[in-house]
Amino acid sequence: MTSRIGIDIGGTFTDATVINEATGEIFIDKVTSTPRDPSIGFLQATNRILERNELDPSSMAYLVHGTTVATNAIIENSLARSAFITTDGFRDMLEIGRQNRPVLYDLGFEKLRPLVPRYLCFEIRERLDASGNVVVPIHVEDVKSVARKIREEEVESIAVCLLHAHINPVHEITVGEILRSMLPETSVSLSSEVAPEFREYFRASTTTINAGIRPVVSRYLESIESRLRAEGMTGELLVMQSNGGLQTFEVAAEKPVFMVESGPAAGVMAATYLGESLGFSNMISLDMGGTTAKVGLILDGVPNVTKDYEVGATARPGMGSGRGSGYPIRTPVIDLVEIGAGGGSIAWVDSGGALRVGPRSAGADPGPACYGWGGLEPTVTDANLVLGRLNPGYFLGGEIELDGEKATEAIEGLASRLGMDLIDAAYGILEIANAAMVNALRLISIQRGYDPREFALVAFGGAGPLHSGRIAIELGFSHTIVPLSPGIFSALGLLVTDLRHDFSRTVLQNVERLDLTIIEGLFQELEEEGRDLLGREGVKEEDVQIRRYAEMRYVGQSYELSLDLPDGVLSHSDLDQILDQFAMEHDRVYGFSVPGEPVEIVNIRLSALGDIRKPRLREIGNSGTGSESAHKGARSVYFAESGGYIDCPIFDRYKLAQGISMIGPAIIEEPDSTTVVHPGYSVNIDQYGNLLLTSDDG
Amino acid sequence: MRLDPIQFEVIRNALLEITEEMSATVRRSAYSTNIKTRADFSCALYDGHLRVVAQSFAQATHLGSAVEVVPNAIREYGADNIGPGDGIVLNHPYIGGGHLNDVTLISPVWYKNRRLGYLATIAHHVDVGGGAPSSIGAFTELFQEGVIIPPLKLVRNGEVVDEIFQLILAQIRSKREVAGDFRAQIASNQAGIHRLTALLDRFGAEVVETGIEQLLSYTAQRIRVEVGALPRGVFTAEGYVDTDGYTADPVRLAVKVVVDDDGVLFDFDGSDRQRKAPVNATFAMTFATCAYVLKALTDPDVPVNAGFYGAVRINAPAGSVVNCVYPAPVVGGWETQMRLTDIIFKALSPALPEMIPAGTEGMICHAGFGGEDPRTGEYYCFLETLAGGYGGRAKSDGPDAVQCHGKNTENAPIEETESSYPVRIVRYELVENSEGAGRHRGGLGLRRDYLFPDHEASFTVLADRDRWGPHGLFGGLPGAKAEYVLVSKGETSTVGAKSTLQLQPGDLVSYRTCGGGGYGPPSERDPVSVLADVRDGKVSAERAREVYRVAIDPKELVIDEEQTRVLRGSNGVD
Repeated sequence: MTSRIGIDIGGTFTDATVINEATGEIFIDKVTSTPRDPSIGFLQATNRILERNELDPSSMAYLVHGTTVATNAIIENSLARSAFITTDGFRDMLEIGRQNRPVLYDLGFEKLRPLVPRYLCFEIRERLDASGNVVVPIHVEDVKSVARKIREEEVESIAVCLLHAHINPVHEITVGEILRSMLPETSVSLSSEVAPEFREYFRASTTTINAGIRPVVSRYLESIESRLRAEGMTGELLVMQSNGGLQTFEVAAEKPVFMVESGPAAGVMAATYLGESLGFSNMISLDMGGTTAKVGLILDGVPNVTKDYEVGATARPGMGSGRGSGYPIRTPVIDLVEIGAGGGSIAWVDSGGALRVGPRSAGADPGPACYGWGGLEPTVTDANLVLGRLNPGYFLGGEIELDGEKATEAIEGLASRLGMDLIDAAYGILEIANAAMVNALRLISIQRGYDPREFALVAFGGAGPLHSGRIAIELGFSHTIVPLSPGIFSALGLLVTDLRHDFSRTVLQNVERLDLTIIEGLFQELEEEGRDLLGREGVKEEDVQIRRYAEMRYVGQSYELSLDLPDGVLSHSDLDQILDQFAMEHDRVYGFSVPGEPVEIVNIRLSALGDIRKPRLREIGNSGTGSESAHKGARSVYFAESGGYIDCPIFDRYKLAQGISMIGPAIIEEPDSTTVVHPGYSVNIDQYGNLLLTSDDG
Repeated sequence: MRLDPIQFEVIRNALLEITEEMSATVRRSAYSTNIKTRADFSCALYDGHLRVVAQSFAQATHLGSAVEVVPNAIREYGADNIGPGDGIVLNHPYIGGGHLNDVTLISPVWYKNRRLGYLATIAHHVDVGGGAPSSIGAFTELFQEGVIIPPLKLVRNGEVVDEIFQLILAQIRSKREVAGDFRAQIASNQAGIHRLTALLDRFGAEVVETGIEQLLSYTAQRIRVEVGALPRGVFTAEGYVDTDGYTADPVRLAVKVVVDDDGVLFDFDGSDRQRKAPVNATFAMTFATCAYVLKALTDPDVPVNAGFYGAVRINAPAGSVVNCVYPAPVVGGWETQMRLTDIIFKALSPALPEMIPAGTEGMICHAGFGGEDPRTGEYYCFLETLAGGYGGRAKSDGPDAVQCHGKNTENAPIEETESSYPVRIVRYELVENSEGAGRHRGGLGLRRDYLFPDHEASFTVLADRDRWGPHGLFGGLPGAKAEYVLVSKGETSTVGAKSTLQLQPGDLVSYRTCGGGGYGPPSERDPVSVLADVRDGKVSAERAREVYRVAIDPKELVIDEEQTRVLRGSNGVD
């Protein structure tokens, strides 16, 4: 009887999930996070879930950890003291950065603080040209003298980024060898190993972040590991990476920059797994919690991944994307659009008299007005309560008693400033929050060239299923899936994910003049590296899957499109097909393609996946009962499409058996979430207890 | 009809979202580094009355660009001559534009057989022909600056009019790149039409048009409140563009800002007459500068549209360097505008001392070059603009090496530049000791060295600030001036800030941009901050002693408190 255990550390709670591999039975638990030393909360959560359910640590096949420890170290500036080494003439690479301001109109702006101070940035004489030829041979004495200076500065970690090292790492390798022999205690991150892609600042930033978090992350993982081992946990210890794949603690400690977005990736992986089980391969995930909503896109059963990512970036008014306000990393990150719209988002009236929602949130303290904890400003949760969508006596399963009068007072204040009545104002708050989410969904679908109507919507997070109904109407989703226990659904993602390692190399070759032996040679190298790593992590040869990609563009463009390549050895006969595929993709994303225009492969990319057997979701069984047994009453709920408040039936989700189908309007309650079924929609309960909502118009 | 606050909020966000999506399309599908990486473009949406409704942009220089050029172009061409699927192209500076490199593409939006408005993308193309690669240089008349395109139908009924396209491309050096950028603009307008149509389908034309009307009056209301909160008075300052490229006469800029019950008036009466030199700015450029200043002084949350632009009032005499007339050359007009921004802020500094920074880089600082790429035989063009020091502020130092005010383009990555163009960047670093000293010091300038190992390139410096550094405020010192250097066959020489050089293989051009001005007396700077700068090598120990009056042991990196007291005491401080 083996199980898997997942531990997901968030800002407020540390969630523990155990799934029985044979039966699919799931246990959940949560403890308060311990930000000062997250490993304390980690062990508390682990011990508690095992003890409460009388599970033996040695029966855990493996443990998966989702963590923000890497991100927090960057944002809170608790990185290891690091040095930066680069080519002569470029000491200020990190400090100059992209030379732009993070905001356009703030005369008091500050530039992004460099992660390594100038006095710990060093130059060595060496130079390659853009093809990787040596222009200036490496001055070994420079490296030695830098190493001596670094020794005096008591540096814990070193990042090395030499110009064009992604094409030819020969000089970086020399630097690495000298540093490792002269400074055996200091960890060394080479840009050619961490992120071998062109554009020096982005590669340097990625490498520096890796160097800065490496000692922090490895100490953290080591301390967890030794204590888990002492408690009798014998299974493999794994970490969720930003790309939605797992890797062992040991590998993660070397390239921790791959796990900066470990936490949010889990939700999308859970949605991917759910889709696999239900036969949906194209989905958009909507994860709405207390302060933010995150949307992701899954295509052909694979989450979309981006390499255009910045840690700590904030979108601000007047600046658009917020590009340039964070530290860029060039490792694959699951593509998520995150906006400040959650249950706690505050509604306000701006100086021009317009109603706005968020991005400020009442958070957990003081919380929405209806919590009665001192919050006076109206929030999205207050609006949901006023409109009857939330059950005041059953919020978090009754843990928090919601105060309808306080919610009404808060929204009335807002309504009078707007000259509206209470109901219109409350409904307006929801509409504006929904519109923000619709925009986020457009960003991740339409703006990336996908039609949302061809996708199923998966709604989770405590607030997701409250809002997904309106969003589905707005964007024309034909199917919405609400998984069981939406509030902790994310954590399930930790337990249903494959081991995965991503590799890439910049090749910059025109497709017409492509030297296939070179490309194939590089792919073989990457594949070997991937198989080696997975072997070290205990994956059997037959469980390894290799996927190949090429990142291509028209010669002269700056953004690449990623294309799947056929399995196996590339032949010249594949090239025409690849070019056709590129033209189609370009047409889909940008609305045009240019026949005859030269195309180049910028990077090749390879994913090595170690297949882990997915547990089957547990079937809830068909009790043969109808929806009546789950009917817990009715209350007055506002639906604009019905012209106001109507008497709406309320159901207990846990009593809804497989095969039941109902028509909206309906409210379905469970302890950690509430699902709103709008008029004109039907809901079916599948064998796993998922709610499948479909429009009656088809 | 009046929309409720909810519909209003939804529609206003959707309108802005349309222009953001247009931007994303341009950025991702464009070819030139200047557009794709440096984001030197903007996208805008207009209503049927040719008023700007929403605009997305990353460069403040594009703030006003959309206001003049599109309405003028449509009037010139005749709205009735433009049908669904058409696209009007132009770059004529005297039809409301900036310089010739800024090419505008306008598409009408038709809905149910009615013209509801227009969409436009304005992008800085790397080359539009003319006397030097990248179309920048010290020219004396407009005709030397490149191909002049009056409003023309480049797209007819969804198809590119090939004869016109070929005529334009024939004037241009880097044809493939520029053709790609044109296609990106066309794709962007199509994306915008697609999205706006979806919005109209969703809400109906009446609701959307009412929303637009309400958005403009909402914005006007908000900017009125903001302007009302500014300190009243008449504020003046004057200053100079260092050189015009031909004479030793600096170009005088006179600024008077009047803040009264009617709002803000920017008056430039007394500024120099236009010159036969590349320092003249069109009215549209001056408008952009004033719009930027107003935006920086008010709540950044106020939307940018005709409601906001209506608050920008300007008196710029025709025929002056801030409102030049045909056929004055305009390619360096933004250099003048960047300086004008600093001078407007200088005028306002006594009224808003907590907010206004000391003098910034105050120039666009172009580096443009081109020639035949020996690797391919193709003609290439490259253009970028270099950052400098920002001015010190009341509460903080001026950031080092950063784009100032109207410009905010990213730098071109060295590895990308070297793989695409036959140039080698051999140095890119901060210029030590270039900061304007102050209680809060100015930022450092930066140095960038371009080496041309194997071909004869033509290189144009179009910049400024090589005579005077940016001004200090309230006792702060000016930043170091800029320097432009040519190294040829072992000989080093200084070159003018507006000059075109014919390089030999092996030649090197080096930019050292100016530092920002300091804020407050340097002797009041916290010695700990001075020590940090010395440790970082940004300021030398000698300079710390002489200018900041802080004694630092450069080996041990400690402050000699006693000597510092003596040094500062002797200055009358303490």
